[in-house]
Amino acid sequence: MNMTIFSNTVFLDFIKGPMVWLSFIIFGLGLIVQTIRLLKLTRIKEARRFAPDAAIVPQTDLSKWERFTRYFAFLRITVLGANACLVLVSFIFHVCLVITPIFVLGHNVLLDTSFGISLVSFPEQISDILTKFVIAGGLLFFMRRLFLRRVRMISTVNDFILLFVAVAPFLTGFLAYHHIFNYNIMIVLHILCGELMLMLIPFSKFFHMVFFFISRFMIVSEHSLGSPKRSWQY
Amino acid sequence: MGTTTEINTDTIQSILKQNRKQIKLGLAMCAHCSLCAESCFLFVSNDNDPEYMPSYKFINSIGKLYRKKGKVSKQALEEMRDLVFEKCVLCTRCYCPFGIDIPSLITLGRNVCRSQGLFREYDR
Repeated sequence: MNMTIFSNTVFLDFIKGPMVWLSFIIFGLGLIVQTIRLLKLTRIKEARRFAPDAAIVPQTDLSKWERFTRYFAFLRITVLGANACLVLVSFIFHVCLVITPIFVLGHNVLLDTSFGISLVSFPEQISDILTKFVIAGGLLFFMRRLFLRRVRMISTVNDFILLFVAVAPFLTGFLAYHHIFNYNIMIVLHILCGELMLMLIPFSKFFHMVFFFISRFMIVSEHSLGSPKRSWQY
Repeated sequence: MGTTTEINTDTIQSILKQNRKQIKLGLAMCAHCSLCAESCFLFVSNDNDPEYMPSYKFINSIGKLYRKKGKVSKQALEEMRDLVFEKCVLCTRCYCPFGIDIPSLITLGRNVCRSQGLFREYDR
């Protein structure tokens, strides 16, 4: 294994230096450009009403208990009521996916040695658990895609590839941290997978990390969150 | 019956072109998560048949037309007719976690079918 690409210093220096910059620039600029493109498809519109007038259904007359039951009845027909378990798993998966790389000790040590700055770090055991959540969530999504007919029917090769790209940095990082298999190979794969994922985010289905917030918080619709003012203008 | 035997690809393409951005965004952002399934009352009342899933309906009607650039056979279009007219009543109750407007995409599928003389056959 000594003469492979994994021990080639030119290659290692490239992926640890310029490649990191390149992937972060593509990630940052890509996000900005794609977000602007998405926002250009929206316009500020006069607010549309989706609920009956407060004068017709006086909300203030409801007791606390009635309000609670109403809200509960509303939640029951949402995706939370229909698929509570999957929503929970998906929420944990996404939160861990975003926060783990930012607060993992190793990344902050690298930041510190390069720029003398660093963020707060999780204790290593916590990062380890969060990583396991991501890998377990990814495995569950993979199983759903394979074995649940309704998901399999709409799944494409692209979905499997992107799921793998999303979980791969965590899997390789986990294996490297625990020194399972060859550490040097794993850490190189970890860097490469991370860079690939960063570069793919603005230009693939990963862009839902921005689309979700624009579509749910900025666009007026029956299920919109917050108080949005825009609507689609395709 | 008033139905044409030939498919007019130009008409289909002009509908696709007019609504290109909406279709492209909907297809690009659908994460194929299947969370919209239970929000469709037809899905639930048809023994959870995946063909009634809102995302399946728009991906396999307007989505398919978009990917094939409107070049589809009569038979394929008839299958789409069944999806958008028989398997959807456009009640607009479907819920997408990402906020994709599935009913309007299915409506576009209906537009294409109607432009080719394919619509709901009430006497079937």
